[in-house]
Amino acid sequence: MFRTLNTNIRIFLQGAYLSYVALFAWIQPAHYLATKVMGPFFYMIFFVLMGAYISGRNDASFYVIGNAMQAAALSGIYGVSMSIDGDRWGGTLIYLFGTPANRLALFLGRAFMHLLDGILGVIIGLVWGVLIFKLDLSQTNFLALALVITTTVFSTAGMGLMLGCLGLITRNVMLVNNTIFFLLLVFSGANVEVSSLPAWAQTISSMVPLTRGIAAARLVIDGQSLAMVWPLLQGEFLVGVIYAAIGFLMFRQFEIIAIRRGTLEAF
Amino acid sequence: MSDLSNLRANLRVIFSAAEMALRSNLTDGFVFFGIVIQPTIIALLAFWMLRDQGNDAIIYVVIGSGMTGLWTMALFISGQAISGERWTGTLEMLVATPTPLYIVVIGKTLANVLQSLVAMVATYALAGLVFGVLPRILRPGMFTLSLFFAVISYISFGLIISPLFVLNPQVRRLQNGLEFPVYILGGFFFPIALLPGWTTPLSYILPPYWAARALHGASSGGAVSDILFAIGMMILFILIYGMITARLFQRILYKARVEATLVRQ
Repeated sequence: MFRTLNTNIRIFLQGAYLSYVALFAWIQPAHYLATKVMGPFFYMIFFVLMGAYISGRNDASFYVIGNAMQAAALSGIYGVSMSIDGDRWGGTLIYLFGTPANRLALFLGRAFMHLLDGILGVIIGLVWGVLIFKLDLSQTNFLALALVITTTVFSTAGMGLMLGCLGLITRNVMLVNNTIFFLLLVFSGANVEVSSLPAWAQTISSMVPLTRGIAAARLVIDGQSLAMVWPLLQGEFLVGVIYAAIGFLMFRQFEIIAIRRGTLEAF
Repeated sequence: MSDLSNLRANLRVIFSAAEMALRSNLTDGFVFFGIVIQPTIIALLAFWMLRDQGNDAIIYVVIGSGMTGLWTMALFISGQAISGERWTGTLEMLVATPTPLYIVVIGKTLANVLQSLVAMVATYALAGLVFGVLPRILRPGMFTLSLFFAVISYISFGLIISPLFVLNPQVRRLQNGLEFPVYILGGFFFPIALLPGWTTPLSYILPPYWAARALHGASSGGAVSDILFAIGMMILFILIYGMITARLFQRILYKARVEATLVRQ
């Protein structure tokens, strides 16, 4: 039993490391900087100014926190789904499915490094907020904030795992990823109060990652305790678990279908 | 070949290249995202931020969202006009034909810019759906004129980006980070007066800024003199960028012949 556990942990860690290295084998540092450092910097400025001008709201911290947390989706959605989908494009999927390796360890390993990368992304976003918009962190419980960030990145990675599986059966997963990322800008409450959205939109908000994480981050930065945001964190975590579970079921199902039909690498 | 038949031949190449680009873009999911999905999502977000404001604010958002589609396509699709040929192995053949390379790229960029106008139509329709009434364009004549020059100025801008990305691969790697800066400096959704003063000259050298200024002014009934000034600036930059483009294309072909790097990625 311990041997199996050891093997699974090794598969998880090696898969996590190798899929991350493989992803960044073709992405240059300049590409990374443009996407993960410059990107959040500019879209934060854009949404703060757009919000201030269009809605007349002068509370920059609302947009700064919302968009810094949104950076979690860059790693959680794009990174994770590209790691899963990358096996198909790289021609390694057939070998992967040919091994007796534990599928759950393989599957979750694809998300692990992006979880760490996503946390770094949110921190970069918050640093930009402090430097440019004087985001006030003086009341913040940093331990609680760290937990909020980790949980939020986890839930976006859950969605990324599910979207990555779509990449196993479609050629256009980037279209889906881009659409989801932009829809999250609207429905997660990053830029508009969820309570001010139409009822149908609020229903969508309650079902997507980030919504509760962003709300929790705003409360924690405003000085609220961990106990106060705990229910939000539980909800955010549950959303992530549900998406990851759906993703894993899809992963298993697509493997069975692809083997049965001989379409494992058919595009 | 006489000047007239030369012009006719070049126009035929421009329209053929445009047709090919349109056909190819129809199968590209990213193009659909850039001209329909992204602008409508940004517009929806802005409409919900607006809440109960009037026609001027709604049309401002429609124009701004449409401009995001134009810029996204200029950056990601027109920007790849030459690199794309390199990746598909057709660049050598294009360079070897008697038609100058920039004529082909003009055709491709024309198609990209024209199809990007779908973004404006899509966000206009969305405004009707969200508010139950289509926003009015207060100076339709000036708007049409502004749109005409906006299309040409975006083509001239696209023509600069494309060879620039080939000559400087490092700049192309920053492509993902260049989308929002122009949304900001172009004043698509808010006046550039909200930005620090030192950024104003950067806005002034961007054709998208003058295009947005003319279109915003024409749609919301701004002063005719201001709209004409913005159109004048677009014409000025079309000329300047045209001259720079000619130099860049010469440079690409010269460098490719001297260093034998025409097909090198």
